[in-house]
Amino acid sequence: MTQPASSALTPRDTRRREHVAVFSIAEYSFVISAASIQEIRSTDSLGGTVVDLDRPVMQKVRHIVERDSRAYYVVSGYEHFHLPQSRPTTVLILRSAPVAVLVDRIEEMAEIRVLLTLPKSFHGEERTWYRGLTVLDRKVLPVANPLGFLTAAELQQLEEQNPGLLQSAAAMRHERERV
Amino acid sequence: MSADNSSLVPSFVVFQVGTRRVALPRDCVAELIASPILFSFPHTTPLITGVVLRRGRIVPVLDLGPGLLGAPSPQARFFLVVERRISNSSERCAIPVQGECELVAGILLPASGQQDFVTGYLDLHEEQINVLDLEKAIAASAGAEEEFIPAVEALS
Repeated sequence: MTQPASSALTPRDTRRREHVAVFSIAEYSFVISAASIQEIRSTDSLGGTVVDLDRPVMQKVRHIVERDSRAYYVVSGYEHFHLPQSRPTTVLILRSAPVAVLVDRIEEMAEIRVLLTLPKSFHGEERTWYRGLTVLDRKVLPVANPLGFLTAAELQQLEEQNPGLLQSAAAMRHERERV
Repeated sequence: MSADNSSLVPSFVVFQVGTRRVALPRDCVAELIASPILFSFPHTTPLITGVVLRRGRIVPVLDLGPGLLGAPSPQARFFLVVERRISNSSERCAIPVQGECELVAGILLPASGQQDFVTGYLDLHEEQINVLDLEKAIAASAGAEEEFIPAVEALS
């Protein structure tokens, strides 16, 4: 992963490059490390594997999706970022957390060279949402934190209110495949 | 910008936010920049309208309109880059301003006191210009913005 730099770009940049996916939600573009993504799917292709949460405890998570014997909480991207309702067509299934994020679309795969720290003037939820900022094609874009879509506290809350659902969704699918 | 040069008399940068002319001590101000591209992305911090990229640095843009005018300031062609203190370190921020800025030397006279973020005033050609405490002005603007957002939502 690209190491966070201070808020300045260095003229001769020797830092490691990082492959990223650029995705959009509503009118905004975001960057996320390609290494943090397990799979990118169309929302149309997920139909039969989606399970409703027994007790949705937060607006942004209402379903679980199951892929390859693992289950993931489906996080609505526009609700996570407090954006107006959008039309998600794509789901990013993450590698490092049991999270699948609904986004409008993937814009491109790209490479970033620098990760700038979020200025301290930002003191809201964005400090959890983003690893920092980057510059791509002369535009400043936020770099999403894959662990920020559902924090440890939010995951615990979901698990407490829907005990065992994540495991049973995955087990049911595994059982179906075995039969 | 021009200044009356006297090392004994403090200098101030006078600028305009919407219809209101105010000033900051010269040492708070780094530079005035024209028409930078403003980049915005989702966040929940009051006052920040986006960021600009300046000499390879990310500079957040803070609108002082809610505190000074009671409403967001109009679209600006110029941004005053100021130095603020956050958690024992300094950070540059940009304030959208209307029109050009002046660098003036003058004596800071005591404020008559309605607004907590006004530290005093300058008497400039018979015009009284309020001098701001930057951090208090930011805090007041953030508080004002948080108050009028629910009001706007209630009306919509």
